[in-house]
Amino acid sequence: MSATLDLTLKIWRQDGPKDRGQFKTYQLKGISTEMSFLEMLDILNEQLNHLGEEPVAFDHDCREGICGTCSLMINGQAHGPDHKTTTCQLHMRKFHNHDTIVIEPWRANAFPILRDLVVDRSAFDRIVSAGGFVSVNVGNAPDGNSVPVPKVNADKALDAAVCIGCGACVASCKNASALLFVGAKVSQYALLPQGQAERAQRVQKMVAQMDKEGFGSCTNTSECEAACPAGISVVNISQLNREFLRATITATT
Amino acid sequence: MSGVRQALLSNWFIRALSTSVGQKLVMGATGLLLCGFLTVHLVGNLLLFQGAEHYNKYAHKLHENELLPVAEAGLLVLFVLHIILAFSTARMNTAARPIGYREKQSKLIGGLLIQPHNYMFVTGVIVLGFLLLHLSDMRLAEWKMRLPYDESMTPADHALQVLRDPISATVYILGSLVLGFHLLHGFQSAFKSLGLNHPKYTPFITKLGVLFAIVIGVGFASLPFVFFVLKK
Repeated sequence: MSATLDLTLKIWRQDGPKDRGQFKTYQLKGISTEMSFLEMLDILNEQLNHLGEEPVAFDHDCREGICGTCSLMINGQAHGPDHKTTTCQLHMRKFHNHDTIVIEPWRANAFPILRDLVVDRSAFDRIVSAGGFVSVNVGNAPDGNSVPVPKVNADKALDAAVCIGCGACVASCKNASALLFVGAKVSQYALLPQGQAERAQRVQKMVAQMDKEGFGSCTNTSECEAACPAGISVVNISQLNREFLRATITATT
Repeated sequence: MSGVRQALLSNWFIRALSTSVGQKLVMGATGLLLCGFLTVHLVGNLLLFQGAEHYNKYAHKLHENELLPVAEAGLLVLFVLHIILAFSTARMNTAARPIGYREKQSKLIGGLLIQPHNYMFVTGVIVLGFLLLHLSDMRLAEWKMRLPYDESMTPADHALQVLRDPISATVYILGSLVLGFHLLHGFQSAFKSLGLNHPKYTPFITKLGVLFAIVIGVGFASLPFVFFVLKK
């Protein structure tokens, strides 16, 4: 059985990076509770198109919760009220009739707003380019079981590698810190044999780039973990701290 | 200027200290060492409840120790580092989000109504104010900035005079409780900043941190409470 909702939306509208921007209020009627949040925004944009107004720009791609393109601060929560859920996988049944929904872009100095709800998250790409890869020549595939990887480490590395790079950690952090993202990337390689050769430089370079981009520092509030749609744990932040300490003490430079 | 900066950053230690992660590591380390100081300080203070002679004996023994100036210098370094880094990381954090949200809600499940981790800088500044007044009352008592002092006073007489002063007593009670609130987050967070976070022992550290914060907050506040409020 599907019900319908009448909603008031307060959406951040900004013409471009230089524009001051402001909230605009829109009314929507008859929204099915079966719709996803982004489908609800599609309906709004169709209405706006109809009225000859500029549609609301927002990021989205796969709409399957795996690409990390969608964002949105919904009523002050990254990706909305659900846990371990991206905005595209959030459904309107989580809301009530006559609700007012405030929709804002990610806010961080390192994520400049391009238009409306779309922010530039290329700072994450630059952090990964700084060291989030393996560039040593590892030769042919080794014989099975000749490089032992403890199952626990393989699991932890995979848990870290499921990060979809959406930026909810930064958006939800009171300091706009990117440490959950960077921690996941650093841990993922630190736990596996392929990552060992560049282990020390990786953490140093990625942390340096993270600071250069203008992200904040970590207060260990765990707000990032609570907001993460991929369920990345804050133990990865402590792993990064350990890696950083280790690199500071052991690296030759 | 940029030349000096570059020369400094060529040193591995300063480079590590200039990063957000390095600053938080030192923040955690100094915080935990200061927790050690608080423990010793509280044990010493509580001797006042045992009687003036016990307190005086302890105070004399402490002041006669030749290594006391070294310990004091070390303590000063810990405090200065912790405070400088607090301002440095706070500046970093404010700059990281120049425009805030119209609406912001936590997604954390459970926790206090007022979360200590959201007020670390504010509570830290309040504790700093408390610390400065406390230093002027005790360590720099000879300067007689506010309260009378003469050499003939025993350590216990002096401590009781300060604890019975309305301004000092009020600030000490509030300051101690705010310090406890600061530690409620600070103690367990320090371990995480130092890289120690594991499902095996983190739950224990978290509980220990709550206990430690309560003992420190209530413990220090109990002195002015007993001697000023209850007029013992």
